[in-house]
Amino acid sequence: MAEIVMPRLSDSMEEGTVIKWLKSVGDEVAVGDELVEIETDKANMVYEADSAGTLTEIVAEEGATMPIGETIARVGDAGDVSANGGGTTATEDAKDDKVADVSSENGEAAPGPVSTSSESPSAQPSSAPEATTPSAPPAAAPAGDGADGGGRVKASPIARRIARDKGVDLHALAGSGPGGRIIKVDVERAAIAAGDGVGAGPAAAEPAPPTPGASERPETAKGQTEVVELSKLQQTVARRMAESKATAPHFYLETEIDMSAAFRARKRLKEMADEGEPVPTFNDMVVKACALALRDFPRANGAYRDGRIELYSRVNVGVAVAAQDALVVPTVFDADRKGLRQIAAETRALAQRVREGQITPPELSGGTFTVSNLGMYGVSNFGAVINTPQAGILAVGELKPKAVVRDGEIVSRELMGVTLACDHRILYGADGAQFLARVRALLEEPIGLAL
Amino acid sequence: MAVVRMREALRDAMAEEMRRDESVFLIGEDVGVFQGAFKVSEGLLDEFGEKRVRDTPISENTIVGTGVGAAMGGLRPIVEIMTVNFALLAMDMIVNHAAAIPYMFGGQVRVPLVVRMPGGGGHQLGPTHSHSLEAMFLQIPGLLVACPSTPADGKGLLKAAIRDDNPVIFIEHESLYGSRGEVPDDDDHVLNFGDAAIRREGGDVTIVGLLRMAETADKAAQTLSHEHGVESEVVDPRTLRPLDLDTILESVAKTNHVVIVEEGWPHGGVGANLAALIQGQAFDHLDAPVQRVTGADVPMPYSKRLEQAAMPHSEHVVSAALASLEGSI
Repeated sequence: MAEIVMPRLSDSMEEGTVIKWLKSVGDEVAVGDELVEIETDKANMVYEADSAGTLTEIVAEEGATMPIGETIARVGDAGDVSANGGGTTATEDAKDDKVADVSSENGEAAPGPVSTSSESPSAQPSSAPEATTPSAPPAAAPAGDGADGGGRVKASPIARRIARDKGVDLHALAGSGPGGRIIKVDVERAAIAAGDGVGAGPAAAEPAPPTPGASERPETAKGQTEVVELSKLQQTVARRMAESKATAPHFYLETEIDMSAAFRARKRLKEMADEGEPVPTFNDMVVKACALALRDFPRANGAYRDGRIELYSRVNVGVAVAAQDALVVPTVFDADRKGLRQIAAETRALAQRVREGQITPPELSGGTFTVSNLGMYGVSNFGAVINTPQAGILAVGELKPKAVVRDGEIVSRELMGVTLACDHRILYGADGAQFLARVRALLEEPIGLAL
Repeated sequence: MAVVRMREALRDAMAEEMRRDESVFLIGEDVGVFQGAFKVSEGLLDEFGEKRVRDTPISENTIVGTGVGAAMGGLRPIVEIMTVNFALLAMDMIVNHAAAIPYMFGGQVRVPLVVRMPGGGGHQLGPTHSHSLEAMFLQIPGLLVACPSTPADGKGLLKAAIRDDNPVIFIEHESLYGSRGEVPDDDDHVLNFGDAAIRREGGDVTIVGLLRMAETADKAAQTLSHEHGVESEVVDPRTLRPLDLDTILESVAKTNHVVIVEEGWPHGGVGANLAALIQGQAFDHLDAPVQRVTGADVPMPYSKRLEQAAMPHSEHVVSAALASLEGSI
């Protein structure tokens, strides 16, 4: 029997959430078959089976979050499929223990310091998964329920006692304990939800006490409170952005770029393009201009990491895309070596994959600089948060005609506000300014972008 | 209060009781001239002389038998067995005589005997010299069993053991002889058998640890607090018979989660016994199965790495506590 463990699907991944099983217990699985869809800290990914056989058991239910390396399913012979169709049964556990351990009885594992209880065989580090993860879905009514059969609710003794005292129906509760066991905290939450919580439940499960003078419970002051759990991706964004602002000393350089020539060039490109052929956007031009400028300013194409500066030979520009109720930054690799048309095609495809939730971690990593554009929302200028450990991020505002003075005359020009945020630990004011001037020059004379 | 080592606290207990009561004497291998294999009887031969500090041949059953006879005859012998491992040679005297005689003769004779001996592994002494046999003695009716983990408890419990009219198995731990702690220096520092100590208060999980595992439990409690925000109540039973079950049950009623840590084997161990008592008497307070952390179910390996792997460490206690609290935190 082979164990399928939570795979490491990205460098920064520590745990993953099972979104959907693409095979069911009893299905034949070949190496390379799409087995399960997993949400990592960066993206949703389909994980392919790395061992063949029959899917005998699904350990991690859909929605379960497990650390890397924990067993999420088992693949073995068809005969191993448990009778109740999925869950680990007590018998199965005992059998496995016997195989591993001829010297002990009652499932007490050896050798190694043994931590025993009536149900979970061990709490030693090597077998921590057994002790810390649900061993079976609640529906399977496994170990502990014994002769009472599948209809019995699995609940801890104190959970039963509190439920009895407070009149909580255990059948209506989902258990958060091992194997879906209903534990004290579940009943207390239910009691509070039913309005029985005042003065009965522990303080931890109750809302904060009302402020002095306020006669209402605090949730009424703001209306009903809806608590929304963050997705993995949102958690990552929250963590990374807070880290960036807390650790990278940001400073901002603003300028306006005269895009009149680029505007004309794009108009020409549009006229020349075949039907359906993607025409590079202004943002694609910004990406290309940044890529070329990054080649000239190695520090802008570097990273401050652990008290040292890393300079990269490849120029990979990330393009921030809003999607999945969060923010992801797919990467245009070697953007300095790619033509505008190719950049246009790639960013379009990447954005599409992001919106469809199909983007994979490799497509989201490796960036050496980032471009973020909110111009389409009418934002004239903004300061972006650096995608650390990168040295900077260029925030692009709206492109619109403005009255400017050229050669003493007031004329209309297509202007675009941009703001370069720099990490002062690697990119100083003068360096940043020169880099920005180079980007600006490239965009104001866009013929250079064609080189 | 003075800060002393466990071995000094035990020596002081014996010296004070020998000064207090002429019927108290010490007998065992190397207790006199050599001053004890672990130097616990240092200075006693000089102070009390050969009559009351008696060296013996290597003959454990006879040494304990001498103690049983002397106790029946009205003396208060302290028998030192070099280590708990050698008590196996004296099990007939301990089980069939010391424990049973007061019953067999309807209380007409008492056996006010103390058998002191250190146990525990961790010194690469292999399967025969690394035992933790608390559970074996705990099983025998008629014996009191003490397992002190601090110098203050060592002194207070040993003095109580010497004054008690029942046979007392007094289990020390080889690794704790050098541990220091504050010890009251008055002669009346005598502890009750059957009073557990709460080493640390907390509301999330009860951790019961004895002998060296009391330290391990405390270390785990620190990790649980610092790294997991889990506050543990650490209980040291101090004596296994009589056992202060009330203190443990009160703690369980508060925390609803229990981890029991011991160095001995899992089957029929101290934790197995305590788990049965807890589920029987605090069933409605439990929110998760009682967790036990024990030594491995194997003869102790000699190899250092294997030996360490076979012994319980604070990480195991942390894992067990977190497993117990799964879903609750």
